Amino acid sequence: MEYYAKFLHWLIALQYQLNSYISTTIRSLNDENSLSTSLLILGIAFIYGLVHAIGPGHGKALVALYFTSNKSDYKKAFKMGYMISIIHAISALIFTFGIFYILKTMFRKNFNEFSDIAMQISAIMIILVGIYLIYEAYKSRKEKEKKLKKSNKSEIAVAFSAGVVPCPGVMTIVLFCIVLGQTTLGILSAIAMSIGMGLTISLAGIFSIAMNKKAGDTLNKKAYILEMLGGFLVLTLGIFLFLSFHK
Amino acid sequence: MKLLLIFSLLISSLFAHPHTFIDIHPTVKMINNNKFIINFKWMIDDMTSTMLMMELDQNGDGKLNKKESDYAKEEYFSIFKDYNYYTYILVKGKKVKFPVAKNFKASMQNNKICYSFDIELNQNIKDTVFEFGDTDFYVAMILKKEFVDTKGLPFTVTGVDNDFYYGYKLEFK
Repeated sequence: MEYYAKFLHWLIALQYQLNSYISTTIRSLNDENSLSTSLLILGIAFIYGLVHAIGPGHGKALVALYFTSNKSDYKKAFKMGYMISIIHAISALIFTFGIFYILKTMFRKNFNEFSDIAMQISAIMIILVGIYLIYEAYKSRKEKEKKLKKSNKSEIAVAFSAGVVPCPGVMTIVLFCIVLGQTTLGILSAIAMSIGMGLTISLAGIFSIAMNKKAGDTLNKKAYILEMLGGFLVLTLGIFLFLSFHK
Repeated sequence: MKLLLIFSLLISSLFAHPHTFIDIHPTVKMINNNKFIINFKWMIDDMTSTMLMMELDQNGDGKLNKKESDYAKEEYFSIFKDYNYYTYILVKGKKVKFPVAKNFKASMQNNKICYSFDIELNQNIKDTVFEFGDTDFYVAMILKKEFVDTKGLPFTVTGVDNDFYYGYKLEFK
């Protein structure tokens, strides 16, 4: 665990610097340096998103588990990562603007409440995805000979479950920009940060697919067991998240 | 191997990651050999401070007056008690209760909100160790050597491995 803790420490230190750098750079924006500084801010936001998503959370576990239980190619992992990041960005923007313009005062309190609601929706979605994966594994066992054509529905459900919870990091940058009168930059920064996060989430999926491929023929013959296990783990993850709000 | 990977991902997904960064600035004031006061200044990062100021700065003057500071204490700072102020105090290796935080004041300094408060300990400072960190991994507590003022008393700042998070340790010699 020592290496894991040191890795976390390195991640925190890097985010600490990026967080400070991005706020200082946004504050330094003026009429003379607007284009170059804006591009620099978007670049930092992208790297911040990339690094931020390396840390725990952001649906990497869900994506990894999904690809453990589904035979897929690397392209699908990228697609999944970016679906999550698009939903993540949209969700963060809707929540930030919605709360900011509709409620304005007591922003942070409302932000926490809405964030909790989003987390619960996400947990329920994850539970449903888990049940769906178990059902599919059961079905594929029953129809072993018949190659099942996987629908995109489960992918969208996974992406929605992982992405619907707005990232407080993205929301903070958007809000910071709004307060400083840089609303457009805030929206673009949210997109840049989400693209960075999407790349990291995709890598989690790719890693899972690579592990799945390495599992070899023995496991492939009993693929439904793995699929079933993946489904149960996704279900457990959803239940854990849901229960954490009802302690 | 695969199961190990799955379980490690499952466990890690239950933890958040830092969204708020707080610089800890401790200043030591020795009373006698068995009593000392530490003033902590928490400097909250610029972006989080901006978000908090939307609510705290009720008259919109960019500063925090007595009334606004009291509101910050009541509505925000008091919550940290449930999290042990992200600070663990050990005397001769044993954890002790965090003392009552006194003289709280919230102010705005260089675009950052500063929470200043004192704690008093009836212990020999050389037997006392402070560890900082958020076990939930939501807030990153940052302690650097240059943040510490012990009025000449030798001290060390080191990293501390707490399994799922990495914190800082402040020791006196």
